[in-house]
Amino acid sequence: MTRDVARDRSLASGPGVRGGEGRLHDLALSVGLTPHPGAPGELRAHCPAPTFADAVARMAAGAWLSDLFASAEGEGMGLTAILSMAGDPGWLLVSAPLGEDRFPSLTPRVHAASWYEREIAEMYGLEPVGHPAPARLRLHDWPSGAPPMRTTPGGAVPARPGPDLASVVRGQGVVQLPLGPVRSGPQESAGFLLVSGGEDLVMVVPRLGYKFRAVERLAERQTVEVGLTLAERIAGVSAISNGLAFAHAVERAAGIVPPPGARRARVLLNELERLHHHLGALSRLAEATGLGVAGAQYAILKEEVLRICGRLTGHRYGRGIVAVGGLASPLNRAALATLATVLPAWRRRGRRLRDLLEDTTTFVDRLETTAVLAPEQARSYHLVGPVGRASGVDRDARRDHPYAAYAEMSVAVPLAVEGDALARARVLLDEIEQSLTIVEQALDGCDDREVRADGLLGPGSAVGWTEAPSGECLHYVELDDRGRLRRWRARPPACVAWHPFAHACASGNNLTDYPVIEASFALSHAELDR
Amino acid sequence: MSRWIALGLLTGRKTSRFPDAPDLEAEAPTTVTVITSALTPELAIQGAEACPTGALVATGDGEEGGLEVDLGQCILCAGCIRAAPEAFRWGAEAETAVRRRERLRASIAWRRGRMVVAPTASAPNGGGEAVGEGRCPDDRLRRAADELHRRSRRLFGRSLHIRHIDVGSCDGCESELQLLASPSYDLSRLGLFFTPSPRHADALLVTGVVTRQMEQPLLETYRALPEPKLVVAAGVCALGGGSFAGGLATRGPLDHLLPVDVYVPGCPPPPLTLLHGLLLAVGRAEERLHILEER
Repeated sequence: MTRDVARDRSLASGPGVRGGEGRLHDLALSVGLTPHPGAPGELRAHCPAPTFADAVARMAAGAWLSDLFASAEGEGMGLTAILSMAGDPGWLLVSAPLGEDRFPSLTPRVHAASWYEREIAEMYGLEPVGHPAPARLRLHDWPSGAPPMRTTPGGAVPARPGPDLASVVRGQGVVQLPLGPVRSGPQESAGFLLVSGGEDLVMVVPRLGYKFRAVERLAERQTVEVGLTLAERIAGVSAISNGLAFAHAVERAAGIVPPPGARRARVLLNELERLHHHLGALSRLAEATGLGVAGAQYAILKEEVLRICGRLTGHRYGRGIVAVGGLASPLNRAALATLATVLPAWRRRGRRLRDLLEDTTTFVDRLETTAVLAPEQARSYHLVGPVGRASGVDRDARRDHPYAAYAEMSVAVPLAVEGDALARARVLLDEIEQSLTIVEQALDGCDDREVRADGLLGPGSAVGWTEAPSGECLHYVELDDRGRLRRWRARPPACVAWHPFAHACASGNNLTDYPVIEASFALSHAELDR
Repeated sequence: MSRWIALGLLTGRKTSRFPDAPDLEAEAPTTVTVITSALTPELAIQGAEACPTGALVATGDGEEGGLEVDLGQCILCAGCIRAAPEAFRWGAEAETAVRRRERLRASIAWRRGRMVVAPTASAPNGGGEAVGEGRCPDDRLRRAADELHRRSRRLFGRSLHIRHIDVGSCDGCESELQLLASPSYDLSRLGLFFTPSPRHADALLVTGVVTRQMEQPLLETYRALPEPKLVVAAGVCALGGGSFAGGLATRGPLDHLLPVDVYVPGCPPPPLTLLHGLLLAVGRAEERLHILEER
C-alpha cells in the first residue's frame, strides 16, 4: 500500500482534520501562552506558576492531558503538563517553575489530573492546594519523611496515608473483603478492598503501588543504555513498548533517525507484543469465567507468539533488541520466514476461538453489562488504550501520532461504546486481527541488514511514545552535556487506565463478577507501581 | 460446551516432554551468558565496563587484576557480548538453576597481563582453582546438604505444592509462571501444583526485587507456610536485585531476608528453567550450569 492511501485511510477513521499542524499552537495562543518549537513535532511553552493551573485546565477542556509531572529545575522544582489533541500529531509541553512547595490543584476542573497530582505530592513533597482527595497513591507503608523521587532539598511525604484496607464503609449487612497484596495464583501483588452488601459489589478501593521500585530515579545520571535496560524492565509484558518509547525520546532529543528497515522492524515487534499481551489477557478472562479450554487455547497461542519473538530477537519478551538509533541487531531471517508462514494459521485459529466465545452464553452473559464505564466518564479520565476505546474514546497513538513506520501502515482503530467487560473483550479480539494485518504489512522490508543509525548524544530533551498493548505510552527524557540522563519520566498506559477502575466497579455488579472485571481491564501493576 | 470439548480434543498433545526428553521447540534462545576460553584481561575489562548491573566486575588493570562474575545479577542485556564478542557468548541451556548462590559466581585473575588460571572448565560452574568452588570447604557441611536434599526428595519428590509471591516483579516472571500451568508445560504432570493458600504449600516461590512495601507481606507469607518448607528464588531481581539493586525503594537480595534453597537465574527465567528450578528443589534434577566454556 502506498503511503498516501494509508494516510487517507487513517484520515477516514480518525477524528477531526489531519495535517492541521497548528491546532496545539492555536490552543496555546488561546490561553495567552507563547509556544515555541521543541524537538520535531513538539511545542514548548512557559507559564508562571500562579496561572499554570488555569491555563492547563482551560486547554484540557478541548484536548487530552497526556501527562503531568514534577522535575527539579536548578535548585527548585517545576511542573510540566503534556497536552495532545485530536487532529494534531504533535505534543504541547507547558512548564512552570515553582517558587514554593505547593501549587494550585487542577483536579477540581480536570478529573484526569487527580492521580498525577497525588503522585507529585507523595513523590516530590509538593502540595496540590485544593485537591479534593489528596490521599497517598502508591506509598502506603512508607514513613513520612524525605520524598523518594526528590533530588532537591525540602518537601516531605504527606502524613495522610492512603485508604486503609481494613475499614472504609460501616453499616449493617456490609461485608468488607480485603484482597491482597498477596494474591492467589501466580500473579502480581496489589491490594483491593471489596465492599459488598449481600450479593452486590458496592465499591472497590484499590490500594496499588506495593511494588514501587523508583525505576526513573535509578536511571538518573546513568547512560541512555542503562536507562533503556530499565525502561524495558518497567513491565515484562510491555518491554518492547516501553523500551521503544524511551528510545524514541532519546533519538528525538539527539536528532537521530533510525534507518527505514529498523523502523519497520519496530512496528513488527510492537505488534507481536500486542498479540502476546492480548492473548494472555483473553486467556485470563476466559479462566475468570470458568472456560478452562478457552483459557488453555489462548495460552497455547501466546506461547507460540513468545517463541517466535524469542527466535526473532533472542529474547522471548524482546528485551535487548531495541537500541537507541534502531535495533541492536537485525531480526533473525529464518524466524521472519517462519512468522510469515504461521500468520494465516494464527488468524484462522483466532477467528475460530472468537466465534466459539461469542457463541458461549456463559461467557457473554457474564461480561455483558458488567463494570460499565460510560463514554462521558471515560472521557473525563482522558482515558487511553483498549479500556478507553471500549468506552468510545477514539485514541490510538499509532494513528494519531504515527511513529516508527506506522504512517506507512493502514491502522484501523477498533471502537465500541458500551463500555462493559464484553466491549473491552471485543476490542481486544478486534485488535488481535488488526495486529496480524499490521504484522503482515510490516514483514515486507523489515529484514534489512542496516538497522542502526549513529548519532552524538548531547544536551536536549524530548518526548517519545508508542501505543503499548494497554494504551498510549509516553516517556520524557532530558539529557545532560555528556548525553547522560538528567531526568526521565515514564508514563506507561496503566498509570491512566487504572484510574477509572474503581468507578467501573461501582456500576452495579455482583461480588462474584470481580475476577471478570479485573481480567477485562487487563492492566499491569508493575507499569503503575514502577 | 461440546464444541469446546471437541476443540480441546482436536488440538492434540501440546505439552513439552521436558525433563524426560529435551525440548528444542520450547528452549529459549538465550538463558545464560557464558565466558569463553578466549578471555583476555582487555576483553574482561571491556565486558565489565558494558555491564549495567554488576554481573561482571573487573578489578585492577590490564597488568594485574581480575574479573568477578555473578550470573545472579545478569539481566541478559548482551552488553558484554556486544563489547567483547570473542570473550562472551550466549548459552541456551534450559537447566541453569542452582542450589547454592556461590554456584552462580566465578572469579578469574590475571597477573602481568596473562591469565593466571586459564578459564577452562570441566565441573559445573567451571571448577578449577580460579572459581569460587573453594568457598564451602567443609566436607561435613556438604554431606549435611546432600542429606537434606535426599530428605527433601523423600518429602516432596512426588508432590510439591507451591505458593507464589511477587515482591516487586515486572510481571515478566508471572507471565512465564502462568504459562507453566498452561498446556505447553503443564507442571501438574510432574506433581507440581500452584496453591492459593500458604497453609497448604510446601514451597514459597519468590519473584521480583523485594520492595520496601512488600517486605512485610513477604515475611508474613513465609511464616504462614508450615515446616518443613522450601524457598525458590526465581529471576535475577530476587537473586541479586537485578537492575534495581541498591535502589532507595528496594531491599537487598532475597537470601538476606530468608533462607533460599534454589536460585533460578534469568530475566525472566523461561518456563523450562523454572521447571528445572522446581525439580531441583525436590531433588529430581541435577545442576548443570557452566559459566566458563569448556575448551
